[in-house]
Amino acid sequence: MLGQVLAEFPGKVRLVFKDFPLDFHEGARPAAEAARCAAQSGRYWEYHDLLFLAQPEFSRENLIRYAARLGLDQPAFTACLDSGRFRKAVGADLAEGTALGVRGTPTFFVNGRRLVGAHPIETFREAVRDALEDAGRK
Amino acid sequence: MSRSLTIAAVTVALWAAACSGQSDPVAAAALTTDPRLIRGATTAPVTIIEFSDYQ
Repeated sequence: MLGQVLAEFPGKVRLVFKDFPLDFHEGARPAAEAARCAAQSGRYWEYHDLLFLAQPEFSRENLIRYAARLGLDQPAFTACLDSGRFRKAVGADLAEGTALGVRGTPTFFVNGRRLVGAHPIETFREAVRDALEDAGRK
Repeated sequence: MSRSLTIAAVTVALWAAACSGQSDPVAAAALTTDPRLIRGATTAPVTIIEFSDYQ
């Protein structure tokens, strides 16, 4: 959905994704690490979108299967996943979110304005329009 | 041949709330992010930061 917002405001909006795997979502953390492994092959966003479609099927085998579906180098991806290479990076995102008062997912900040929970696309359109107006006043 | 992995972290400032005079504590915060996890123009005037998990 946010991809659509980016398309509707070309050049005006950028999206930054931060991992915030909740403790009681058992598969969320390995999924976040797997997405970063996919990023090593330049396929982060495709893998990211695939994970949202596939949730909550995040066993190790499934995460590797999704990588294969995107044509990623399977041995390299598996080695990355098993190494825990991105555990620290995911943890850093979690710590940043916690420091900002994030308690649940999803939580958004549109130029610093907080939006908690899932919202219809119109909410984001309005938030972007407001932020553009504010930026125009500066 | 394997390519060495270099992640150049970028800093994303959450600045707009500060500019608009809000007292939100995120206003002064800056986040360090892998640039591969960013979509859209780096010069865009609006930044949406999404904290989410996959489950």
